Amino acid sequence: MIIAERKPIDEILEFLSRYQKVLVLGCGGCVTVCLAGGEKEVGILSSELAMARSKEGRPVELVQKTVERQCDFEYLEGIRHLVKEVDAVLSLACGIGIQTCNEAFPDKNTWPGVNTRFLGVNLNVGEWAERCQACGQCILDKTGGICPVARCSKSIFNGPCGGSQNGKCEVSPDTDCAWALIHDRLTRLGQVDSLREIMPLKDWSYSRDGGPRKLVREDLELESGK
Amino acid sequence: MSVQADFQPKIVVFACENSGWLAAEHAAELGLTYPEKVELIKLPCSGKIDVLYFMKALEKTDGTMILACQQENCKFIKGNVRAAQRVKQTQNLLKEIGIEEDRVGIFYLAANMGHKFAEIVQNFYDRIRELGPNPGKVIK
Repeated sequence: MIIAERKPIDEILEFLSRYQKVLVLGCGGCVTVCLAGGEKEVGILSSELAMARSKEGRPVELVQKTVERQCDFEYLEGIRHLVKEVDAVLSLACGIGIQTCNEAFPDKNTWPGVNTRFLGVNLNVGEWAERCQACGQCILDKTGGICPVARCSKSIFNGPCGGSQNGKCEVSPDTDCAWALIHDRLTRLGQVDSLREIMPLKDWSYSRDGGPRKLVREDLELESGK
Repeated sequence: MSVQADFQPKIVVFACENSGWLAAEHAAELGLTYPEKVELIKLPCSGKIDVLYFMKALEKTDGTMILACQQENCKFIKGNVRAAQRVKQTQNLLKEIGIEEDRVGIFYLAANMGHKFAEIVQNFYDRIRELGPNPGKVIK
């Protein structure tokens, strides 16, 4: 899932300083699961903002709403009437949801309430770790299901590098060496010999090197184009 | 901060039904009193408390607290530990916006501690009175 965390309150208060009525918009997807922008976080942040503005002597009216997913235009249609009534929107969705709101409601500002951090997994309550960089060309079949692109600090193939010691990365003693993990996993599966195969250079054109990406599946497109 | 002579703080006390709530009943049986503007809300366990409950309470009051079972004595094992964590989280939120952290607190007691209940509530009330009205109160 997409992992996000709430922006510092001062930053949010600064965005909203000129508005009197704001829609605080949560998302029922990833940010709900990572406790950054779901219905409860919308409630807590709204309380905090209302109190902060009240303290400054400039009360703000906050409308609260959480949609199923902010990254789908369909769900935003249902809140068009709410957006019409406010001065601005504060979105607690990931960067995708925030941009979708700005596209759906071009005449209103949608401000970001969170920083979108990475694509990752929930390891423990309050602890998340990166697992994927959406590089566009998955090689998990060759690496025992462990991604060297996302989990090796250098994203190297055919690793490990000289900075790997006792299974840890030189970047931080808290970071596992992805290539040590890959070696251990393949050993466990009895497939460690597969590491003798030299992996070719990665084609980064599927990733950010090719500019903003777009995926079109003609088999799914409808005649109307919608 | 100086105490405003006529200021009577409004306080919400969340109470675990296995300790704080029973202690309040015990206090009533003993004829003990506590300030008038203190509202008690019963919870099935202190672990039911949520940062959102505290924040909502603080939108219209001057202080709020949770009464939990004695440490290591929660019927649901970790309810009071979680309650303490949520008090800390709320205090952090208050700190961020420049509101005194003391406006939210956790206190531990047992069901048969009526006197302790009255003392906790009175002391908290006095502390909030000392702090003055909640500057972030949304509903005046």
